[in-house]
Amino acid sequence: MPSWKSPFRKLTLDRQYDSELHFHIEKLTEENIARGMTPEEARRRAALEFGGAEQIKEELRDVQRFPILEATLKNFQGAVRFIRKSPSFSIVVILTLALGIGANSAVFSAIDAILLRPLPYPEGDRLMELQQIHQRVQRPQTRLAPLRLEDWNRLNSTFEGITGYYTEDDSETSGILPEKIEVAYVAPRFFQVFGVAPTVGREFNSAEEQFGGPNAVLISYRLWRRRFGADPDVLTKQLRIHEHAWSIVGVLPASFAFPDRDAEIWVPVPPDAPPAQQREWGWYIAIGRLKPGVTVDQARANLETVQAQLGKQYPQTDADLTAGVVPLKETTIGGVRGSLWMLFGAVSLLLLIACTNIVALLLARGAQRQHEISVRLSLGATRFMVVCQLLTESFVLALTGALIGLFVAGEASDVFRGLANELPRVEEIHLDARILLYTLACSVLATLLCGLFPAIRGARGHLSGALAQTSRSQVSARTPLQWFLVGVQVALAVTLLGGAGLLLRSFQALGRVSPGFDPQNVLTLHITGSYGETADLKKLQSRIWRTLENLRALPGVESAATSLFLPGVPFAFQNELTIAEEQTDPNRKIVTETRVVSPSYFAAMRIPILAGELCREDIHSVNVMVNRSFASAYFPRTTPIGHHVREPGNPFLPGGEIRGIAGDAREEGLNREPAPTVYWCLSAPSPDPYYLVRTRTEPTAMAGALRKKIQEIEPARSVFDILLLEEHLNDAFAENRLRTILLTLFSVTAVSLACIGLYGTLSYSVTARRREVGLRLALGALQGQIVKQFLLQGLAVTLLGCLAGWGLAAASSRVLSEMLYGVSPSDAPTLLTVVLLMLLVAALAALMPALRAAHVDPMQVLREE
Amino acid sequence: MPPGGVMPIEKSDLLQGTLDMLILKIVTLGPIHGYGISQRLRQISQDVLLVQQGSLYPALHRLEKRGWLAAEWGESENGRQAKFYRLSAKGKQQLKKEESNWNRLAGAVTSILQTAQ
Repeated sequence: MPSWKSPFRKLTLDRQYDSELHFHIEKLTEENIARGMTPEEARRRAALEFGGAEQIKEELRDVQRFPILEATLKNFQGAVRFIRKSPSFSIVVILTLALGIGANSAVFSAIDAILLRPLPYPEGDRLMELQQIHQRVQRPQTRLAPLRLEDWNRLNSTFEGITGYYTEDDSETSGILPEKIEVAYVAPRFFQVFGVAPTVGREFNSAEEQFGGPNAVLISYRLWRRRFGADPDVLTKQLRIHEHAWSIVGVLPASFAFPDRDAEIWVPVPPDAPPAQQREWGWYIAIGRLKPGVTVDQARANLETVQAQLGKQYPQTDADLTAGVVPLKETTIGGVRGSLWMLFGAVSLLLLIACTNIVALLLARGAQRQHEISVRLSLGATRFMVVCQLLTESFVLALTGALIGLFVAGEASDVFRGLANELPRVEEIHLDARILLYTLACSVLATLLCGLFPAIRGARGHLSGALAQTSRSQVSARTPLQWFLVGVQVALAVTLLGGAGLLLRSFQALGRVSPGFDPQNVLTLHITGSYGETADLKKLQSRIWRTLENLRALPGVESAATSLFLPGVPFAFQNELTIAEEQTDPNRKIVTETRVVSPSYFAAMRIPILAGELCREDIHSVNVMVNRSFASAYFPRTTPIGHHVREPGNPFLPGGEIRGIAGDAREEGLNREPAPTVYWCLSAPSPDPYYLVRTRTEPTAMAGALRKKIQEIEPARSVFDILLLEEHLNDAFAENRLRTILLTLFSVTAVSLACIGLYGTLSYSVTARRREVGLRLALGALQGQIVKQFLLQGLAVTLLGCLAGWGLAAASSRVLSEMLYGVSPSDAPTLLTVVLLMLLVAALAALMPALRAAHVDPMQVLREE
Repeated sequence: MPPGGVMPIEKSDLLQGTLDMLILKIVTLGPIHGYGISQRLRQISQDVLLVQQGSLYPALHRLEKRGWLAAEWGESENGRQAKFYRLSAKGKQQLKKEESNWNRLAGAVTSILQTAQ
């Protein structure tokens, strides 16, 4: 039947036409001869009588060709006519789909960019993060000594190359004021492993990668534009970092943003530098490029073997270590996977609701068009043709919806990027050909979902029956299917709303926790420092002491402290400790969170000292504080004060004496109960700790004064990231907030759609039953009774939908359980509130059609008979 | 149209269905080729109905495509290959329907004409 037959088949068909028509002409000729004509004359007359054989053949071909091309064209024309004929219906359908498809495409574009696409480097899927894992400590120690990195690179057989990096916030001092710049210190082979080459200039040469060689840096495209106006002469310029001049040898492409978006300078670290010769040092985060065809498991096994070998060779430092291999993409995208798929599930449900809505609309429409379809069928259209025509209408609607949806998606993506700037890889979210294809696929799917069933049902019309009927009784007043669809919409909307409700509740719960410290009126800031300073710990310590004293002396400052981590921002740093005064007992495991703070931290954060005294910091010994949970977990009957704790495996930290017990604070995240915690009292745990400044007045007003003071005492350093502690706490839950906002938005849309569905179906039912209502009113029914009847019909369906939705929400809340805080996934009050809310909104949606029913004029309806 | 003249069945929408019905009716008599159908139409209608070949063959192919006619190639009376059409089961039903429709319509038209006289 279709025209896409093989050319061979077409040829034989043509031959058949020829011989069939030729046969006819021959018979005519014979007839003419029998009448006494000469053969020539007979043939001429026959041909004349027969008419244009070629034209007839063309028509025969048309009969075969008709369905696919021509019918499609005709169907499209018909569809456009249909849409123009019923604009309000079409607009509702198109906008519903635009919303559904647009939201879906927007979330998919985020999923595609963040989760699905490989990292934006050549064959980015072969890049791995390599971790060294200390077997006696719970957390992986990702930082690798330069010597071990070189060993791994030399001894493995599964990687093309292994490199590493660490970052530091340094001051660049060639300008008038020092500028804070993120510097990535990279091991050899860094750019080969990533497969990138500078757009201007060259990579480091071997002299520059050796100790004592010339100072060379590569700069980011951004820095090149910002500082040098994209000047091609940049290769003659120099930068000043750590009091040294560094020559710029190249500019990296704009797309290269590793380790992160803020990295602006890449500096080579010579593996033969004297400080790099200790196996205990943890410097690098290691990155490796797999050889083609090697799996992650093979690489891990290989690296474990290599490390086991090193363990035998260097038992002192390497025996307890093992190796891990994780795709770089996984460590880059971190934990957002769950949130994104959850949101994708939510928008897919939304699209499903939109489609269900449209199915109901099309069914109602189909009932009204039964007459038209019957005419078509009786004029010789096949059912298949009618289904095709109805599907084409749905497809044109879906396609138009999808096109508008693309604009919606474009806008939504911008909003998403704005809301989600904390997420990894958001800058890679773009609308491109893949998203276009996805949107197109969505519209085809929507066509089938929305259109197939109503089309088949529409084409089922009874031929002569529908034609004979008059228009008033042709639509059935009973619409169980439409009501079922309304119920489905309500159920899905309640599922989404339930999820949103749970997320909102846990957000609320998070706001209500008492963190155990006071985040108000605290400014945090950083001052640039370099790891090179750790070579002289005494000097580093006195620098930070001096800075803290100067900050404290400022009028308006109540206290100033340093800390390695921010309180309340999720970051777990677990360690296993031993108590020096106790016999080693393998059954007694002391696992604690580790914090490193200056003694002034407790006052600055207003964490009370419950027993003992505040720790002191001096050169000769280390003091520690423990929290109440530590004391009650590990010293339930005695006091921990006076005991000494040690961290086995850490050669840099001597044992510390417990001097006092502090109150419990939610250090590792506002969403976590305080765990047993040990505070090591060290003001200078790193060259660049967080500075926490508690002010007496409005803290933001103090920022300028703080900056000026530090500039005064440390002219070569820059101050950066001056932020309120409360802002940090907000940002820490940005992903949480994002998914709560989006899910709430989706579920509100879903509820609106369900209400539109309810409204539409009830209106339709009211229209279809006008005669019955008019009759009953004429026979003395009260208007109130009519309103009640329709309202109850709507609410009954809604209630059933709500119950089903409750079940669905309970079943699907396991998806959410990891994202909830302070509320159980099956929290009855939340779900009950959601159901009540749904019923209330549904009642409002049902009220208008119900009232309209009561205002039917009996006289008018009966006159229509 | 002059009385007793020849009425060509044009490719108008209204008479298209009529031509289909007539073809189906003629084919009930047994397998027959296109030329035969045009001959029979002329004979039975006593030269009143003349079917153009340009209408006949597309109609035959359309009916075949809808499954109302079945066709196969066979030998004609003079020994040449010709395409023979015969009525399918589906076609039989269709014919019955169209005949009753036609009779109703014709009856209605006739009675209107008689009443109006």
